[in-house]
Amino acid sequence: MLTTRWTRRIEALPREARDTLFLLCVIALIVLPQAGTLPLSCVLLTLVALLWRGWIAVQGKPLPGLWWRVGMLALGLLGVFAAHKTLLGRDAGVTLVILLLALKTLEMRARRDAFVIFFLGFFAMLTNFFYSQSLVTAFVMLLALLGLLTALVNAHKPVGRPPLIQSARTAFTMALLGAPVMLALFMLFPRMSPLWGTPNDEMTGRSGLSNTMRVGTIARLALDDGIAARIRFDGNMTPSQRALYFRGPVLSDFDGRQWTAPAPWERGFFNAELRVRGDPVGYEVTLEPSNRPWLLALDVPQQVPEVPGMRVVITPDLQLIANRPVGDLLRYRAASYPDFESGPLRRTGALERYVALPPGANPRTAELAAAMKRDPVLVAAGTPGYVQAALTRLRTGGYLYTLEPGVYGDETADEFWFDRKEGFCEHITSAFVVLMRSLDVPARIVTGYQGGELNSVDGFWVVRQSDAHAWAEVWEAGKGWVRVDPTGAVSPGRVGAFQRLAPQAGFFAGALGTMSPTLAQNLRSAWEAANNGWNQWVLNYTQSRQLDLLKNLGFETPSLQDLAIVLLWLLIAVSVGGAGWTLWERSQHDPWLRLLGRARARLVKAGLALPDATPPRRMANAAVAHFGDVARPAHDWLLKLEAQRYAAASDDSAGLAALRSEFRRTPWPK
Amino acid sequence: MNLPAAVRKRIDGWFLSRRPPADILELTQRNVYIVPSRAGWMLCITLLVLLVASINYQLNLGYLLTFMLAGCVAVGMHVGHGTLRGLTLHLLPPEAQHAGSAAVLRVVLHNARRGVRYGIGLSVRGSGQWAWSDVPAQGSESVAIAFLPERRGLHPVPPLTAETRFPLGTFRIWTVWKPAAQLLVYPAPEPSPPPLPVGEALSGDASAAASRTSLAGEYDGVRAYRRGDLLKLVVWKKAARAQATGSNELVSRDTQHAQRDELWLDAQDANLPDVEARTSRLCAWVLMADRLGVDYGLRVGGRTLKPSQGEAHRRACLEVLATC
Repeated sequence: MLTTRWTRRIEALPREARDTLFLLCVIALIVLPQAGTLPLSCVLLTLVALLWRGWIAVQGKPLPGLWWRVGMLALGLLGVFAAHKTLLGRDAGVTLVILLLALKTLEMRARRDAFVIFFLGFFAMLTNFFYSQSLVTAFVMLLALLGLLTALVNAHKPVGRPPLIQSARTAFTMALLGAPVMLALFMLFPRMSPLWGTPNDEMTGRSGLSNTMRVGTIARLALDDGIAARIRFDGNMTPSQRALYFRGPVLSDFDGRQWTAPAPWERGFFNAELRVRGDPVGYEVTLEPSNRPWLLALDVPQQVPEVPGMRVVITPDLQLIANRPVGDLLRYRAASYPDFESGPLRRTGALERYVALPPGANPRTAELAAAMKRDPVLVAAGTPGYVQAALTRLRTGGYLYTLEPGVYGDETADEFWFDRKEGFCEHITSAFVVLMRSLDVPARIVTGYQGGELNSVDGFWVVRQSDAHAWAEVWEAGKGWVRVDPTGAVSPGRVGAFQRLAPQAGFFAGALGTMSPTLAQNLRSAWEAANNGWNQWVLNYTQSRQLDLLKNLGFETPSLQDLAIVLLWLLIAVSVGGAGWTLWERSQHDPWLRLLGRARARLVKAGLALPDATPPRRMANAAVAHFGDVARPAHDWLLKLEAQRYAAASDDSAGLAALRSEFRRTPWPK
Repeated sequence: MNLPAAVRKRIDGWFLSRRPPADILELTQRNVYIVPSRAGWMLCITLLVLLVASINYQLNLGYLLTFMLAGCVAVGMHVGHGTLRGLTLHLLPPEAQHAGSAAVLRVVLHNARRGVRYGIGLSVRGSGQWAWSDVPAQGSESVAIAFLPERRGLHPVPPLTAETRFPLGTFRIWTVWKPAAQLLVYPAPEPSPPPLPVGEALSGDASAAASRTSLAGEYDGVRAYRRGDLLKLVVWKKAARAQATGSNELVSRDTQHAQRDELWLDAQDANLPDVEARTSRLCAWVLMADRLGVDYGLRVGGRTLKPSQGEAHRRACLEVLATC
């Protein structure tokens, strides 16, 4: 009922109003995905402009005057400036484009004037991709593109009131036919590095890891189900989930409250002194953009992975760092040795920073350490003894793993060991490392991701932000740095198995989960597999993939130049094909007429003057009259030709093919 | 697009001389032209900006959008060209018009294809006034283009042009067509002409000529109806009787006046020094005499048309006036 009333109301609108409303809807669709990221003032102004314009269209009112438009523009500029503190830069520019697009509708007079809106619209579509290139965004923008094309096609039908669905069909056909062009260009257009530097503003906070660690930081991230990376292991070489430690920043400086990773230039030029055993595990990483220069690798790669367009180094604490932040999806191959040792074998001065503690902090932990040092059994066992003692204390001392440990005071280690006795990995690890350092054992915190989950649909190993973890490394004489995961002692489930403390699911997800837990899991797996396919094939189509393509095409050492050449050849081939098709199409005139034309050409060549459009019977009679009985066979053939066309039902009518062969046999007058 | 006038003229001449004038034009690859429109150049710049943005921000989805749009434009080029290609234009013989009033050229567009051809504009070349139409699938559409002839005479129909911007407006696709038909332009009738000149006596009797009687003057007897006789000259009583007996013959009153005087419209009588003004006055007189339904003859520029009346006579007179 309601829909029919609405369609009838829309049908009753004049064409201009209908077209305008349609265009406004498309613009709204373009702006919608950005509504969350744009400043509120801009969103409101855009909404007001679009609604106003729609009201004007429906009511048939005049467009607002110059002063209204100038006023709204000034208001918009003010809003942009208030939100971004500048009118330049990427984000301010995006806001401006959206604003101009909305305000331009207020001076859209004729259909042809709408061009500026169309072009701004295409631009606004692109700005969406700054914030998200997901499958959903792509789908919405495809709809918007088809909508804009429909409006554009519709604008070029000046007569009457053509139904929009027809224009939509034309637009869809054009998009469909244009898709091969798009595909060819997408695959072969040489991917270049940015032409000039672009400031990457406002992209921080995507990563689950940070250069610093304060109480509570990782708690928030543990609730984030976003994907950090996808890993595909070669063959069946997947290590056990317990062994999947992906190293991020290594935090070694402690000020009593906050752990920090030293700046690269402060780390000195020590060698990592990596010693590996066994066979490496080969795998491919698809890293989500983090806007951080860290690359994830399974502990620990011996070779730095090759990433096109980036220079990657390995730090003395075995972290992979690129020369620029990871601003977009990145894919690289790496090989890691799960069995490794690193660091100096004998205690050197370089290790002194790993026992440094702020003086006077955590006095009760210091007392505990002093008590342990007085225990002769422990002293005899050395560093492994201390580590075991601390882990035993964690396991048996009533310590709890929780995601909601509450706010800690200044003496975080003391509070953990003696008062609260609960926390998650960062509290546990921090307290553990402080205790180790109090025991004069070099120790440091390693942050990164632990675990992950196998997507059974596409076989990729998914590492989420909620897999963010912090563990410890302790230095032992004669062995170097040894990984100790104290969280495992408190909550064995945290390391390895799936029993993470998940947050309460939303209503819908909860309902789905109660109905069928596996269905929810399967749906999620399928969706993530689709997303991953999108990432692998579209978002991650990079220069190296292009060059791979060329290699498959048979180029020995492909270069960007070869890409351009292939593209050029393709263009030439298509052009030649098009020209051939045109020739072929031109020859596709009526075959009967062509046959008649051939007969006429014969007679004209023999000296008979025939006008351009002579029917076969007259041609036959003229031939007999001119050449006499010599032309009798030609005469008969021409009459047959006539019968074929005009008396096809009669018995003596022959097929065109028969007539053609007879034409060749007929003795034409010379 | 500000080519020097001389170059433009050369190009124009070349366009028009490429094919002989014809009233039927089939649009093919050879006579349909295509160039990017201003909007097309704008879109080209937009595409470049999109491409640069995609490169600089490394947006693969941006590449996709840019190339999709480029693909659509490429397809749109073919669709637009196909809108005109294969169309048949047929100019119907134009009707004669008086100078100063618009002549109407009727063009029938025939579409043999199984798809509608949208947004085809027709205009007299250079007039800038477009008549837009859609040509239905496997059908025809008739378009009327107004054309204001400058002066009387027999003119060739001006070159016409058909244009389309369908589907995206990024290309201007057009053709130039010189029809073979000729357009007869009568002189413009003088707006408020003096009364008709007095008739001349058949026998040269000056006094009789001076007293020009009214049309419904005395009459002596009846004669058979002749085409062009005024209705009020018809003897309706007799007509009724004749119809009752089955014969459809009409009878007119025979006026003395018609026998005595002959109306000659002579360029000499127009009394104007300017040739155009003279023909214009003669034209007004012809129309006036035709309206009155009297016999009239025409003498102009050494050509003479014997007194007569009716549609054909009027046309003949006007034609002489147009071309003299």
